[in-house]
Amino acid sequence: MKDFFRSNGPIILVIALLLATLTAVGSYALQGVPSPLGNVLGVVTTPVRDGISALAGWVEGVYNYSFRYDELQAENDRLKAEIAELEAAAREGEADSKENERLRELLELRPKNRSFDLESATVTARSSTNWSSTLTLSKGSDQGVAAGDCVVDSAWNLVGIIDTVGTNWSTMLTVVDANLEMGAFLSRTESIAILEGDFALMAEGKLKLTYLPENTELITGDLVLTSSMGGNYPSDLVVGSIESIHTDASGISRYAVIAPAADLDSLVQVFIIKDFDIVE
Amino acid sequence: MTRQDFLLKWLFYALALLPVWWLDQYVLNRFLVLGVSPRLLPVAAVTVAVLEGAVGGAGFGLGVGVLCDAVYYGAWGGMTLGLCLIGWAAGAAAQYVLRRNFGGCLLCSAAGLALLALCQVVAGLFTGLADLYALLRVAVPELLWSLCALCLLYPWFAWVRRRIVKVLRL
Repeated sequence: MKDFFRSNGPIILVIALLLATLTAVGSYALQGVPSPLGNVLGVVTTPVRDGISALAGWVEGVYNYSFRYDELQAENDRLKAEIAELEAAAREGEADSKENERLRELLELRPKNRSFDLESATVTARSSTNWSSTLTLSKGSDQGVAAGDCVVDSAWNLVGIIDTVGTNWSTMLTVVDANLEMGAFLSRTESIAILEGDFALMAEGKLKLTYLPENTELITGDLVLTSSMGGNYPSDLVVGSIESIHTDASGISRYAVIAPAADLDSLVQVFIIKDFDIVE
Repeated sequence: MTRQDFLLKWLFYALALLPVWWLDQYVLNRFLVLGVSPRLLPVAAVTVAVLEGAVGGAGFGLGVGVLCDAVYYGAWGGMTLGLCLIGWAAGAAAQYVLRRNFGGCLLCSAAGLALLALCQVVAGLFTGLADLYALLRVAVPELLWSLCALCLLYPWFAWVRRRIVKVLRL
């Protein structure tokens, strides 16, 4: 032990203490911004992340083609049938929208509008710890991405919220992360609740819906959307559907377990909503 | 040992850490076992500490800790100090109490990982992240899975050390 104190041991411990303090102060002061070293490592390792991500995608493609061909063929047939149904629904919806437009003009209301400034990004890495659910994306502040931006998949299902923004990368909290909290809108009952990540449910890839409206009968499968409460996030993005409804330990309030609509495990391409303008 | 030898030795260890970091950060988290991925970086810090002793262990632990705090989401500086102390303790234990072999490394890694898991669980309880059962359901498999990774990491760093001794004629 004397060797340790005779050589540079104490100096190393003091350096560690100073660096830890500096990092703690930095992480507290720089919310949403990575540490300088973290940012440099993020930029330098971008090609590695991209390479591994591409390789993983290729391996998955080969595996799917080799072992899941029949399953994918059946899914393709099912999706084709679904598209035909949706096209029919869209044709009906078109007539309704035109009628709605005419009525809004008659009432001199502002025309409905939903415009989004999107940035396409690739998922290049997954959670580096078991204590959070994050994804690393290939776009950062150079592309105008900011902390708090919503991220959706190609079907407009909410995937998560941007948390840390590096130069050409960003880290996103997925919808199931324990730190996520946002307003929710239940489309069938037209009521409002709160979406919360829950650590115990995070491992199962689910989240919680709390502050459920009283005297409202919720059923399994009810669609949960983002609400426009606070104006921070765009409304009507699909978060998921109710899987089960429970009473909490106190026996007073209820909560629902939500299964996210986005498939968080196999996401490759996502879209970051940098800006939006919604007129209801 | 000359200054150049000293620098070369730690450069070799840093290079040996690169594939471990890439595995930890970009590969193993795609293949979860019991819902978790192993923590290779703390195990790597303990392994080098066991091979190199208290001073080397503290220094390498400091470097690995800085890396962890830079790349792990939600890190706040605790790993820098924590891994430096764990590296120092593991190195000292291997120098004076245990043997510098796989068994000694396994014991030191188990103790180090248990300490990190304990800190994580206490922090989780303190911040109201989840109840004890939910936290242990992540912490325990993570600890066990990380210990399994030692079967790869110990031979890897032991080989690197043998190469360093041979190349630098230490």
